[in-house]
Amino acid sequence: MQAFANNLNQTTITDHLVDRCKQGDVRAFRELYNAYSAAMYNICLRMTGNVADAEDTLQEAFMQIFKNIERLESASSVTAWIKRIVVNHCLSRLRKKKVYFEEVDNIDVEEDRGAVDEDSFAWTVAAIKDAIHVLPQGYRTVLNLYIFEEYSHKEIAVMLDISESTVKTQYMRAKDKVRQIVKQKNVIR
Amino acid sequence: MPEKSFEDFISQHRPDFEEQGPGPGIWAQLEKELAPPKKGLVYMLGRHWLKAAAVLVLVVNSVMIFQFLQMKKAQHLENVSPELQDAKMYYTSQIEQRLTAIKAYPSSVVGLDSSARKELELRNETYQVLEAELIQNPGNERIKAAMIHYYQLKMDLLDKILDELHEKQPATQKQPNYEREI
Repeated sequence: MQAFANNLNQTTITDHLVDRCKQGDVRAFRELYNAYSAAMYNICLRMTGNVADAEDTLQEAFMQIFKNIERLESASSVTAWIKRIVVNHCLSRLRKKKVYFEEVDNIDVEEDRGAVDEDSFAWTVAAIKDAIHVLPQGYRTVLNLYIFEEYSHKEIAVMLDISESTVKTQYMRAKDKVRQIVKQKNVIR
Repeated sequence: MPEKSFEDFISQHRPDFEEQGPGPGIWAQLEKELAPPKKGLVYMLGRHWLKAAAVLVLVVNSVMIFQFLQMKKAQHLENVSPELQDAKMYYTSQIEQRLTAIKAYPSSVVGLDSSARKELELRNETYQVLEAELIQNPGNERIKAAMIHYYQLKMDLLDKILDELHEKQPATQKQPNYEREI
């Protein structure tokens, strides 16, 4: 997770490039797009769950980024700014698809028990991706925002307009669900 | 083999969770939306367009005023007195013919000095004074009559000179038969 974050942060976006974008230089826009499109596309793909929605969302998000580049104060905050716009577009698309993020009761939520029974099977990238893909949309959104996009429970709560405890609960349930699915696949194999 | 926690596993294999980037079609669409309709003059001038427009207006105004004054000057006499303009055209033509005929004789035969020749020209000092007076007093019939009289006197004078020259040197060339019409 940290490796990916570092990789994105290493993207060289200078104040000069941002200034060129602010002047409407299309070549500068392209440089900005080239630097971020792959990472942002992956966010869209994880959040929306399919290629068509991911591409549409990416396009809309970048159009907004280009139109609002004037609001960006410096190159140092460009990564967080772009990422936030992309995530907001993803959430907006999900809401249009009638995905609601509702409060849940957290009585039966246990603390992370990942280490307890994980010696009985092996995680694999493909298995986790497949498991996340079949999660209910609400769980998937919370899990993606927390574990892949590295937002805190508090930040996610604000984004989804739900309580922080609900975010924690949904994350735990999502993780449990992923574990169950991966475990089942291990057994079947 | 025992595995690490869910979060640890993802952290360690984070790059493997990434898919390839989007296809080229996304940028193509964005570029299409970003492209300005066409770079017009105002776009190219950027923020200096207002200054450029002000300079352009000044230049156009200057040219227009200059052209207007030139046209007004040329048409002034015609506007002031259309009937005098007709007379002017007639006399000008007649006087020019006579002057051309006189110039055809050798200067030794003509025997006029430079100041006398200058006085014979159509637009001499008297003419310019009369024209200026007429422009300032467009309805003044006396000035109009004075101008006609000026033309007639000049034609008489030129005819006399031509007659004398013809007597002096009849074989030089055949002179036109000048007739007085006014």
